[in-house]
Amino acid sequence: MIDSFPFDEWTEDITSFWTFGPENSTGTYVLTVLGIILMVAALIYWVWLENKKLAAQAELLRSAGSLPPASPTAPGPGFEEPPLAGPSTDPGP
Amino acid sequence: MTSSVASVLASLFAQVPTPEEINAKVDLDSLVLLEVFYFFTVVIMWLIHVGFMAYEAGVARRKNIMSTAMKNILTIAVVTPSFYYFGWYIYGCFEHGGPAEGHAGPAEFPGFCGLTAPWSAGMGGNLESSLTGHLSLVFFLAFLLFSWTTASIMSGAVIERIRLSAYLILAVVLGSSVWIMDAAWGWSSGGWLTTNYGFHDSIASLVVHGVAGAFALGVLLNLGPRIGKFDREGLARTFRPHNTHLTLMGLMLIFTGFYGFYAACLFIQSTVFPGWLNIYLSPTTLGTIAMVITFGFAGGFTGGWIASRGDPFWTLSGGLAGVISVSAGADVYHPSLAYILAASGGMVAVWAGGYIEKKLRVDDAVGAVAVHGVCGFYGVLLVGIFAGGFPTGVNNVPSSFGGQLMGMLAFFPLAFLPGYIVSWLLKKANLLRVPPEVELEGMDMAEFQQDFFPEFERVPEVVVLPTGEEVEAGPVLLESFAQVNGDRAGVTAGEERRFP
Repeated sequence: MIDSFPFDEWTEDITSFWTFGPENSTGTYVLTVLGIILMVAALIYWVWLENKKLAAQAELLRSAGSLPPASPTAPGPGFEEPPLAGPSTDPGP
Repeated sequence: MTSSVASVLASLFAQVPTPEEINAKVDLDSLVLLEVFYFFTVVIMWLIHVGFMAYEAGVARRKNIMSTAMKNILTIAVVTPSFYYFGWYIYGCFEHGGPAEGHAGPAEFPGFCGLTAPWSAGMGGNLESSLTGHLSLVFFLAFLLFSWTTASIMSGAVIERIRLSAYLILAVVLGSSVWIMDAAWGWSSGGWLTTNYGFHDSIASLVVHGVAGAFALGVLLNLGPRIGKFDREGLARTFRPHNTHLTLMGLMLIFTGFYGFYAACLFIQSTVFPGWLNIYLSPTTLGTIAMVITFGFAGGFTGGWIASRGDPFWTLSGGLAGVISVSAGADVYHPSLAYILAASGGMVAVWAGGYIEKKLRVDDAVGAVAVHGVCGFYGVLLVGIFAGGFPTGVNNVPSSFGGQLMGMLAFFPLAFLPGYIVSWLLKKANLLRVPPEVELEGMDMAEFQQDFFPEFERVPEVVVLPTGEEVEAGPVLLESFAQVNGDRAGVTAGEERRFP
């Protein structure tokens, strides 16, 4: 029975439906732009939200008084900041 | 009776399809088989990411479990759209170095390039029954899974101190730009390294693993080690994984997924003997590469076990290193050759891991630079030695030691520099690393405000000193914190217990 379906006619209907994947239509251009906006916005939001959470937790821990003040410089060696092991590898005098 | 038989025979013959109809059905079945094949390679490759998550979460200390696992999960959230919107286009259109020329608009991109723009017919539901029609979607998905893999390789190296958001930005750069650019150059039949130099890396030793390792090295140089990783003399301490069983199970899942990875690196060409082509469209077989990966694991475990003198972590990592070392020539190698070369790769990974940690003082939490980076480059070099002369690509350019070196010289800066530069920019913006207080306490409390093993008693964290002595980590970490911040007086014995 499945062979009796009017597949050719249906194929044409499906192909021309705008969300299914017709090529280079205004609909797909718009969807592409909207998707890129969502992707970029989500990344920015991730950065902002995490920064807020980390700053709040660090402030909470500092205010508890159990640690000395942290350096404002982000740790990490880089080529200009020997030794390669970074700040937790203080080679000593 | 006679007329009845004749009638039956006539009706039977009337249903016999013509040769043209049979050919059409065979072609259709081949296309369906092709689509199903790639679909299931994608399903199997998901296990790689399950494995990476378990592997890294097991290595992490208890206080960083969920922040480690979330990196692997959110890799999918960011690399999938970015690879869709521009990564696949880079693969399709950058084979000659820069973007393809000669097109006035998106609809006029030539050939495969024209199917890779996100608005093209090849990137949405498609009823055209052909290799470049609806099948382009499963090809895209297979490459997408490779992209997740590159990001996951970098992910393990940076755990326990990188910000989740910084990692996600780096994952987009690596997974949707860097690796796919090198794939366009040297992992496609029309790439300039393939057509000009016969560069041969059939199952992606360098284009996936080596490049991800080099990118990770660039990031690690800016990220720096975990607090307390090195002592005042620069000798490495060891943090105990919170669950080694989980780590080993993760590695086994990665190994399982690698079979899907290997299979996805082949093309099916069912109308031409032997039916299988490598990524450069040269003939090979599924059995050939399946034997090489299996003997690669066997050799790699052996080499890792010997070089590490039986260390469980490095024995299993040696298996991964072994496979990566023979992947570049997996379409060519004899199983015995794969076994021997993989054993050497397992040893190289152990030695390189020790050198990177103890001499370069780079804190790579899972040995990703050694296992993936060093062995990825090593694997491509081996092809130049053991498979030199094998014809590569549609131009049949012989692979050679020089051609392999050319690929290595092109890909190291292509991978290392973006990793270093982007992480340097994030560091300057103070967005690369979590605050040191948060790192000491554990990232899970800051990121998720909860302990993910609430029903288990919290025991003091331990650290292994360079002498091999295992001690309570709190005082060691606080001393290291004080070294960073130059105020030892602020730490008292009572307060140390706040950070077990």
